[in-house]
Amino acid sequence: MKELSDFFDMGGYAAYVWPSYVLTLIVVVLNIFWARRLLARSREEARRRLAMRAGGGETP
Amino acid sequence: MAWTWFHRLGSPPYIYSLAGRLTPWFAWPAALLIVAGLYDGLVLAPPDYQQGDGFRILYVHVPTAYMSIMIYTTMAISAAVGLIWRIKVAHAVAASCAPIGASITFCALVTGSLWGAPMWGTYWEWDPRVTSELILLFLYFGYMGLRSAMEDMQRADRASALLAVVGIVNVPIIHYSVVWWNSLHQGPSLMRLDRPAIQVSMLVPLLMMILGFTLFFVAVLLVRLRGEVLSRERAASWIREAVTP
Amino acid sequence: MAAALAEARRTRTPATPLLTAAGLALTRDLRLAFRKRGQLIQPLVFFAIVTTLFPLAISPELSRLRDVAPGVLWVAALLSSQLALEFLFRDDASDGTLEQYALSGQSLSCLLFAKTAAHWLLTGLPLAIMAPLAGLSLGAPAAAVPGIVAAVAVGSVALSLIGATGAALTLGVKRSGALLSLLTLPLAMPVLIFGARATELAIKGEGYGPPLELLGALAVLGLTLAPLATAAGVRVNLE
Repeated sequence: MKELSDFFDMGGYAAYVWPSYVLTLIVVVLNIFWARRLLARSREEARRRLAMRAGGGETP
Repeated sequence: MAWTWFHRLGSPPYIYSLAGRLTPWFAWPAALLIVAGLYDGLVLAPPDYQQGDGFRILYVHVPTAYMSIMIYTTMAISAAVGLIWRIKVAHAVAASCAPIGASITFCALVTGSLWGAPMWGTYWEWDPRVTSELILLFLYFGYMGLRSAMEDMQRADRASALLAVVGIVNVPIIHYSVVWWNSLHQGPSLMRLDRPAIQVSMLVPLLMMILGFTLFFVAVLLVRLRGEVLSRERAASWIREAVTP
Repeated sequence: MAAALAEARRTRTPATPLLTAAGLALTRDLRLAFRKRGQLIQPLVFFAIVTTLFPLAISPELSRLRDVAPGVLWVAALLSSQLALEFLFRDDASDGTLEQYALSGQSLSCLLFAKTAAHWLLTGLPLAIMAPLAGLSLGAPAAAVPGIVAAVAVGSVALSLIGATGAALTLGVKRSGALLSLLTLPLAMPVLIFGARATELAIKGEGYGPPLELLGALAVLGLTLAPLATAAGVRVNLE
């Protein structure tokens, strides 16, 4: 247990090291999330356009 | 032979399916490398004789800083390709790079600041590399801002591509002008990690993280690219098959 | 429109020689600007006001102001030139003159360079004359005046050119003020760095040659590259 608490303490630099890693992790996760969301939205948009084209017919 | 390959890369349906197939080949190795690098860097690598355990920020700061510049270069090159040869896919690549690059540059700046605070006694320092990195962030924002301000996609592509290309000229200028500015001012402590040679046990996790982040960037780029390519195709016939689940 | 533009570039057999056309564009802009004299002095008044803000905000003591004078002068000059940029292409874009320039068969970069030159004559040059006065008011010694004039004159050339590129890129954007600044200011930062450095050395009475030469290098770089980028930006927004 002493070793684990030492690990979290990072030799006294915990306040600097852990926020850095957490921020980086958040940035990584956000990038994945944003990318997948963009793709999903583009697909949805394309599907909607196809449906309009099929159902709507000619432009007025 | 090489020419047909290049042509195929410019074809939106081909890129859409290729990117989809390639993504796991980058995503999983990236995840593995990053996890392994994290473990090696946080747990296995011995503490630094000068900075103790604080030096471990290196393992997120250096990869993100390196990526911030690598991504901008990728963005500028694909923007130039899109401008010169009028290839929509190239513009889509550039558009995909920007948000990734901006968030990673922000990350590099903050981790650098958190590293500087205990080591050099200040959260911020206007030294050449830090200032250039901040301006790089502004360039990313300018690119994304110009793109979002224009409604017509083609116009937005070409205008922002011009900006990206002009911006890359600016990057070395800014870096050198700030170097000269600082040296003219006889600025504060130069940012240097003085050690005789970087130990292998310290270097290996760093290389793993850099490679892991690079693969991560490509994986995210591929996903974004599919979305961007799709949004640039209005009535193309291949879309029907691609998006009906 | 895109086809017409491409056609104009290809054929390019105008009746007027290029230099005459560019000269005409320049004099047209100057003449038009002088009709709205009120608009002409606005950037200069802005410069004076901004410069005045600092003694009010920091301290009226000349000894303290002298230290920040280079920075104040250059930030104010940068912001003033930003203000004036919005007028560079706006009127011509709305009444179709820019399209005529693009379709004329003349080199668009040359015509736009003529417009940028007119812009510099109307804003950069007056700034170069006003800046030493502002500098004196901030505690600069009289001996610094030539240096300040030289630095602002050369630096404002680069600023006008960089700004023209930004203005061309944001042509189609409504209320582009903030976006224009976001695009132009990072590109203008090297000019700021060397300009402020030259001004600082001039105020201290030391040799300001090296930063001034670097400013000149930036201006030359702008002269060679900016007109091309500006023309490309205008074409993108006209298509």
